[in-house]
Parts: sequence; C-alpha cells; structure tokens
Amino acid sequence: MAIFAIYTVSRDDAEARNWLGFLRRHGCPALSDLAIERVFWLEGALDVRSLLPLVVNPLYQTAAEHSMLDPGRGPIVEIVYRPAVTDPETPSILTGARALGQSGLEFARLSRRYQFAGLSRAEAHKAASRFLYNPVVQRVREPDEVWGTLRPSGQPDPVRSVTLAGLDDEALSALSRERSWYAPLAQMKVIQAHEAARGRAHTDAEIEILVQSWSDHCYHTTWKSLGLLKRLSQATAAINHPLVVSAFKDNAGGMEFYDGWVVTIKGETHNFPTAIAPFGGISTKHGGVIRDTLGFGKGAYPIGGSTVMGTMDPRLADADLPAGALHPRLIVSESIRGTAYYVNPMGIPMLHPVYRIHPGYAKCFALGHSIGLIPREYALKETPHPGDVALLIGGDTGRDGIHGATASSASMTGETLARESAAVQIGHPITERKFATAIPVLRDAGLIRSITDLGAGGISSAAGEMGAETGVGLDLDRVPLKDRSLAAWEILLSESQERMLLAMAPERVAEAEAILDRFEVAHTAIGHFSDSGRFQAAWRGQEVVDVEMSFLWSACPIEPTPVAEPERRLEPLHLPMVETREEWSRAIHGVLGHFHCADQSVAGARFDSTVQGRTVVGPYGGKNHRMPTNIAASAPLRGKPYGLVTTVAFNPFYGDIDPAAMARMMVIEAITKAVVAGVDYREMVLCDNFYTPRLRPEVAWDLKEMVAAVADLSLKIGVPFISGKDSSSGTFESAGRRIDVPPTLAVATMGRVPDVSRIVTKEFKRAGNKLVLVGVMDAGMLGGTVYADSHGQRGDRLFEVEDVGLILRHWDALLEFHKRGAYLSGSAIAEGGLALRLFEGCYGSGLGAKVDLVTPMLLFGELIGSALVEMTIDDESEWRSQSVPAGVHCRVLGEVTSEPRLVLADDARVLWQEDISSLAESWSATFREVVG
Amino acid sequence: MSSAVTAILYAPGTNCHEETAAALERAGGRSELVLLHDLLEGALKLSRYQAAIIPGGFSYGDHLGAGRVFATVLVAQLREQLTEFLEAAKPMLGVCNGFQVLTEAGILPGRAPGGHGAALIENESSRFEDRMVRLLVSEESSPWTAGLSCRVLQMPSAHGEGRLLSDRVGPDCEGRVVFRYADSDGRATEAYPENPSGAPGGVAGIADRTGLVLGLMPHPERASLPVHESQDGLELFRNLTRWLRSP
Repeated sequence: MAIFAIYTVSRDDAEARNWLGFLRRHGCPALSDLAIERVFWLEGALDVRSLLPLVVNPLYQTAAEHSMLDPGRGPIVEIVYRPAVTDPETPSILTGARALGQSGLEFARLSRRYQFAGLSRAEAHKAASRFLYNPVVQRVREPDEVWGTLRPSGQPDPVRSVTLAGLDDEALSALSRERSWYAPLAQMKVIQAHEAARGRAHTDAEIEILVQSWSDHCYHTTWKSLGLLKRLSQATAAINHPLVVSAFKDNAGGMEFYDGWVVTIKGETHNFPTAIAPFGGISTKHGGVIRDTLGFGKGAYPIGGSTVMGTMDPRLADADLPAGALHPRLIVSESIRGTAYYVNPMGIPMLHPVYRIHPGYAKCFALGHSIGLIPREYALKETPHPGDVALLIGGDTGRDGIHGATASSASMTGETLARESAAVQIGHPITERKFATAIPVLRDAGLIRSITDLGAGGISSAAGEMGAETGVGLDLDRVPLKDRSLAAWEILLSESQERMLLAMAPERVAEAEAILDRFEVAHTAIGHFSDSGRFQAAWRGQEVVDVEMSFLWSACPIEPTPVAEPERRLEPLHLPMVETREEWSRAIHGVLGHFHCADQSVAGARFDSTVQGRTVVGPYGGKNHRMPTNIAASAPLRGKPYGLVTTVAFNPFYGDIDPAAMARMMVIEAITKAVVAGVDYREMVLCDNFYTPRLRPEVAWDLKEMVAAVADLSLKIGVPFISGKDSSSGTFESAGRRIDVPPTLAVATMGRVPDVSRIVTKEFKRAGNKLVLVGVMDAGMLGGTVYADSHGQRGDRLFEVEDVGLILRHWDALLEFHKRGAYLSGSAIAEGGLALRLFEGCYGSGLGAKVDLVTPMLLFGELIGSALVEMTIDDESEWRSQSVPAGVHCRVLGEVTSEPRLVLADDARVLWQEDISSLAESWSATFREVVG
Repeated sequence: MSSAVTAILYAPGTNCHEETAAALERAGGRSELVLLHDLLEGALKLSRYQAAIIPGGFSYGDHLGAGRVFATVLVAQLREQLTEFLEAAKPMLGVCNGFQVLTEAGILPGRAPGGHGAALIENESSRFEDRMVRLLVSEESSPWTAGLSCRVLQMPSAHGEGRLLSDRVGPDCEGRVVFRYADSDGRATEAYPENPSGAPGGVAGIADRTGLVLGLMPHPERASLPVHESQDGLELFRNLTRWLRSP
C-alpha cells in the first residue's frame, strides 16, 4: 500500500525552545539552535490533502511533502517508533482521518526530526539518545531508509523449556543473573526441586512467573523474613478503629467518609525506574498509583495525589557524581516534567509536591500518593467465581517494562543504568484517563466482581493474584499486542502501562463491553477464572504455563535475615555562635534558602491543583499563592460541607541519627500538621512508605526498629495505618563504592472534618494578634535540623518528645482551641523550625512579626509535635488561667505586626530585623536555580 | 429552575465536565453531560439543547495539538448540527481545552466551522502554569458577561497552551476581547506570572461578534462554590441561566 509523508513545522515552537534550553544545561553547551519537524507517515489509499486540517493549523504551522529543514544548518536526527510498536498518536490520527472521510488510511506513524545547530553528527546522536528517545520502543530512522509498510511487524520467539536439572549453586546463580531474574539462590533451588518433583522442565514463561511473583517488590520477602509484614496490620487490627473500612488487603486502604462514601489512600514508590530514566519512571509512578485507586474495591475514583521526591543535591558538582548515576539536577527537572506530563491530563489535583535532598539518594526516592473516593457498597471486592471472565481493558501489551519487578528489587550499580533502562517506559495518560472515566460507570451498573491494576509483573501478577483462590486459564493469543514480536512469557510479564484486569460474570460482559465502547476503552476477554487451583495459559496451540496456585503462592522460601545493631558514627554539633546582626542574617538566610525550606512553587505550579473543583486548600496559598500550606483540604462530595484533609511528613535527615525516633517523629509531624488545621486525630488514618538500603544485618536492625516504633506509637495514639509499601533496595554501587539511602519513612495522613470551611491556614491574619507556641520548646536539640545541615553537620541527638501523653494533651488542647475558634492561623513546626513558619506566616499575609526568640535553638529547633498559632489575647494571665488546660505548654512568643518585617527582640532590644521581601529573595532563589 | 438544558459536551480526555455541571447547577441551570460519541452515533442531537459548554481537559490526549482532534471531529462530522446551533443564536462556552477546541474548529472568533482565525499556542514559559489569576472584563457586550464590565474576577487558571495568536480579534474585527489578565491594580498585563501564558495584550478570553460564543483559558467552574477561594466564576453561569430564562 502507498506510503505518504507530510512534513510539518511550527512557528514559535515552544517545545523546541524548551529542549534547546534543557540540552544546553545538560551537556550540550555548543548547541546554538534546535528545530523540530514532525513527519506524518501515512499508509493507505487516501487523499493526503484532505488530512491537512488534522495535521496543521495554518496560523502557526506549515505542511509540505518534503522536509523544510535546511540540511546546512546542522545534523538532523529522526526518531520513530520501532517497527513492532504502535505510536501513541496513531489512534488519534486514525480517529481524525476517519472523521475527515479518509477511511482508506490504514496506518499512521509520527516521527520527529530534530536539527541540532552547532553540534557534530556524533554529538547530536548522543544528545538524542540520552534525552529524546527510549531505545526500547523507539529508534533513529536512517536518512535513506525506505518503509516497506508502517504496520507493526515482527516475529516472536517460540516457547522454550528451561531445565535447572543438574545445575550446581554457582550455575543456578549465574543463570538467574544472565536472565535478569534477580532470584536468590534459595528460590532457584526451590524451582529446581519443583522441576524434579513434577518430572518436567519448566517453560521460560513458568520460571518468569515464579521469580516475578517471588520478587521482593511483589512478595515482600525482606519484610516477611523480618516478621514485619504483619506488624503494622496487627496494630491496626488491635486499634479496631470504627472508621477503617479496608486496611492492608486491597490495592489501597479505605476510611469511612460521610453519607455512605469511603475515601482511600495509597502511596507507591518507583525509585529504580526514576533513578535510571526519570521522565518515564515518574510518569509511570503516577500512572501506577492512580491505578491502585481505580483498582480499590470495585473501582474508586482518584481525587488527589502527591509527588514526594528525595534525590542527591541537584547542585552537586559533576566531579562528585557517582559513576553511572544520573545527575540529580536532571532527575529533579525530568521528574517535574514527568509529573506534569502524566497527572495533568488525568485531571487529578496535585496536593503535595515535595522535594527533599540527601547525599545518600544516589538511587532516588520517588513516591506518589493517590487519594480516592468510592461508595461504601462497592468498597470491598469479591473473589472471582469459577467461570467469571477475565476482562483486560486499556492499552495494548508491548515489550516495555519487562523485568521491572525483579530489576527494581535488586540493588543498583553503575552498569544497571544502561542495561535495565529497558524496564522503564513512557506512560500514555489518555489511555488511563479513558478507563478512569468508564470504571465508575461499570461499577455503578454492578458489573465488576473484582478489579485490579496491571503493574509490576503485568498479566502474570494480576491474574495470579486475582485467581489465587480459584485458578485461572488464559488464552494469550487474545491479548492485544502493540509489539508483534512478543514471546509468550513476554506477554505475561510485560509491564505495559494503562491496563486493568476485571473479573466479571459471563452474562454481564456484553453490557460492560457496550459501556467500554462508548468511552472508547479497548477491552478483551483473555480467559476465565476456574476451579482448577492452577495458573494455566495457552499460546499458539501450546500449553505454556501450568503451575499450581499453591506452589506459586506458598513455596517461596523465606530465608532468615541476620540482624545486628549498627554502629553509628555520629558527631556532636559544633555550630558557630550567633550574636551579631550579620551572624543572625547569615543563619536565617541559610535556613530559608535551604533546599527543604525554599520556595518550591516553580515546580508545584506546573501541576494542576484545582481540577475537579474540589480543592479548598491546595499546596500553595496566602496573599500571592506561593506560601506553602503544608496541608491539603478538599470537599469531595459536591454541595456538601464535608472536608478531606491530607498531610505528608518526610525528613531524610533525622534517620541518620536515630531511625526509630525519625519514624515516630514522621507520624507525629504528619498528624500535628492536620490537627492544627482543625482535624481530630481520632478521625484520621495513616499511610507509610519505607525505603531502606539493600538488606544487611545492620539495615535489618534499623528496619525492625522503625517498624516496631511506628506500630507501637500507632497503638498508643489510636491512629491506624491502613496502607503502606516498602522498598528495601536503596543501595547504589559504583566503582567499588556503596551508597546507601538514609533510613527513610514518609508518612501521610488522611482525615475527615464535618465542615471544611473551618480549616485553619498558616498565613497571619491581623496585626496585634499574639503568636503562641503550643507544645514543648525548652528541651530543644538541633541534631538533624535544616539549620545544622546548612552548616554541613548532622549532629548526634534529635529533639523528640518521648512522652506520648504530652503529645496527646497538646493535640487535644489544639482541637479545643480550634473548636472555640480561638486561633486564626496555625501551622505545625517541622523543618526550618519557627524561623520558617514565622517567615511564611508573614509572606503569606503581607504582615510582619516581632518575637522574643533569642537563640538559634529557639528559632531553628524543629519542634515536632508543636504548633505556632495566632490568637487574640488581651490579658495574658487571664487567658492563661481561663483557657490553657493543665499540663499544656503555651508560650507567647510575640505578635503579628502591620509592618512586613521579621523582628527578633529581647524585651525592648532589637537583636535583628529584616524586611520580608528581602528574606523572600533567599527563599525563592534556591529551587529556581536548580530547575531553571 | 429553568427548563432550558445546557449540553456539557465531553470527549475522551475531557476532565472538567463534572465540576462544570456542578457550577451550572449552583447557578440554577440544568445541564446534561453529552458524550461526543453519542452525538456521532446519532443517539443524541445538539438541537435538543439551548446552550453548549465544552469544558477543560486534554481531549484525545491533545495529540497533534491541543483540541485539534476534537475540533476536527466536530467540524467534519457535526458541521450541520453546529451551524444550525449557531444560527439559532444559542450560547456556547469553551473553557481551557474547550476554548482550544472552539478556535481549532474556527467557531471562534469567526463562527465559521472549518475556518482558522485564531490559535492557542504554547505558553511563553513553555510550561504548564497553574495559577490563581485576575481577569479584567472588557466592555464588549456578551450575554456571558452582562453586568460585569470593568470588573476584575478571580479564578484558577491551569494550562500549557494558552497564548492567543490572532489578527482577527480586536476593535472592528470579527472577534472581541472579553477577558484580559490583570495585575494587582486591576490593569491588563502582559507580565508573567499575572499573565501566565504571555498572551499579547493579556488576552485571556474572546467572543465572536455576537458575544454568544465565548472562550476563555481560566476556569470559572473552579470559582463557583462556597468552598472555593473565589466565587467570581459563578457569575458567568448565572448570566447563562438568566439569558436562557429571558423571553
């Protein structure tokens, strides 16, 4: 069939301008100009001219039959999708062409020609391969190449049997490595024994399914071996909280909301893919955690999310970058682009964009939360019945993402980057958006028995888990492929994004298919749930998988993990004296301009925070909408006053000093943030995400301590964890050097309030009001603080209030104050201490503050569990005797002033003062410099 | 409650249809969510409705250009219904992606499906920009902004392609400027970030010569409920319900 080309260029091409700036910042300073030409390759019997309305808007785009780039201006690199792969835009081009009466168009591809002025051909190819395409699915088209056909083509490998018989330990380990299985020897031996017992070799597909299902990522082998998996869920069971609907058993956790609705939360990390290919890694992180919401119960709808990143310092000198690691500047800026790329088209408000740094994050921390909403009656899924149809919906299955589950469970080396970037793919949010719209319709029609997302492990994992108690039989020939060359095991293992698996009664399938057609969601029945107790799959007339579910789900060997107390080499702080005005200035600017305290709105403003019209308090607020709010509040049920409040606590510094204390402090910090806003901690649940180095006895110690610490704390305060995730592969090895992530725990809270209009925010409200610290402040320590870090020190002691009763008294006092409307603004103290909160309260209001804080300990101490509130107090002693309950620490620090200035004073003597606008310069510069 | 029904027209990738319906309901209007697929299949006809709104989102993934595929489908397959709708002097509103659809389809500024009188191209910053913005309402007459002339409205704005490119919008042109981004003193501005797209003249929204068809980049539906930071956007929906009620 004839193949036509339409070349198009855009006037004022912002995408080209953007890449020009990016490439010049990332290794191509000689690049003087960049042009992008897009080429539509069209195959079929058609009138090409009639497609012009689809491919160009003549106001700013030009089309021609030949390239419009002047070859003399620089080397051109043309990027196309591989022959076996369908372009993401192909369906849109076909839809548009059909609308224009060109049904003769059989297939279309879209290539991009980049012209690099100022670079050599080799430099141009290098830049393109680093940033502009993903070699797993795309390639460079040679200038003289002639297409035979545009249609996907390719031949799959046949099914192979893989015998482990007779292999010794060394050979088993070598095979596991060579095949990218990353299976420990003990697992290889169990598979070897299974082969001997059943008397036939496994197929490649069977082994792939086993090692994938037993990977740490899917099976949590590390946590199981340490006895941790049940620890948090047992604490939750013991609390027996009346609002908990679903904890630790579904794709997310669910909490009772109001009027028969349930809200859900899930946090998911995508550390490995983000470390090696940040744009793809982060976009699929969001895609995955959003599908966890869609796969909760019988399908929840996502109403909010977060992106929480931990990287090395993006200002790291190139010479200090560990060999084989991506530069953190690149990871941060590409992750911002990836979040915008995926979450905005999903139409889900971004509630918590958080970026933190630590030198240990050579393998970065990439966490995203998803918050969902579902009617109570659909919050619990059912077990599929034998005979139920396994309905696969969403995108086609491709070569992308194979071995993601096993690779992400392994530690990362300098070589991993090149070898395993195949595990990373680029998501296509439009596909997910389509089924996000359709799933609630299917659900409310009562069509869904069970639903789960396809993430790590693909069809293998989803079908294996859904059919664990029954059995499942799949017909792999029915799986729609975007890559014709996939072998059977690859179809099973592919982690192609944007797919969900549903279990549905066979008599309801036609009804479901009609709904899916209306929403343009692709669907295929790929098999049935059975009563065989076996995982079975056929392909091209062959049986490629036949494994007992009992073996798949209970034979994984859990090896005991040795535990040993680590020796921490901690040094006490030696911080300089702060006395003169210059010294105070330096100290305060150092804290406000610290990466963790600085204005990150240049990133956050790239994410839609108000879509869905539910947002009440978004990530930024105050007078000019740049003050971080530290909480998010939304009104999920339209027309109702009910509020949903979420907070996140993530501090990578504290764990260096005391992992268990850090873990408790994250729980306290996250809850305090919500309590100050006016949320009762008795109407709140928690979500945990742990990230630790690859397991060694010392790491195991820390992990156990952290989990025990939060489980105990959760019981004491009665606030349950309902969802969580762990990753124990935070180690990067390169050139004989091992870099471990700090013991990491990010805690999110989700709470409900009957009247969202009563949420209190942080910006100061009125000059003359008193600023009051509610909580303990006298025992301040500066270990782990931003202030210490700004001096390049960590310290040896954290400030932790160990008396849980005291914490609860302060929360109760805050809630009582809130009930009486006693404070007008409020915020929990966290990184940056009171200094940051005072600045933010002023910056967000246009007001100032004068406070009696005369030592760095008071100003910069990170008083986790304490809060700064603004109150109208006429007579302090009368207020104290009438309003402050016994055992509650309240200290009047000073007052809000009309002059936009921060003043530190010791009685009448002014120690230091500075205009908010000049402080804001330090605060807003740091992050902007990093992301450009 | 008016008996007139407004079609909220959505396609794959549209993601602001539900809150748009909520805003209209609060303004006392009635609406129906109309899936483009159902119009194409003939299950529904545009003529059933007295007004139409195309809400925001990323229709068809914004592949080939923001709003391009949606617009191509509208013009190629529903041209007659569209023309009939416009000739019946029924109001239309395009918000964000909906505004992009209306310009790509030629409905703005020229009321000419298939024409090209304006385009919304990538923001000057080449980034998606999520901001609360101020909009100065012009003195051009439009049923959507009746009684709002010279007022400054606050509402959220969130888009990557909002810079208006057109020489057919202005005095004595077929298109009229209805909204301009404004600074804190309420004056029209080209300065970032008050004008997040860098649109020349600060243009944030335009209407056709009748004022019946309006397109704007910011989101009035996200400033329409008591829980929202601003309720200024509600005025547009109130104006629609008043207009639909008037004899």
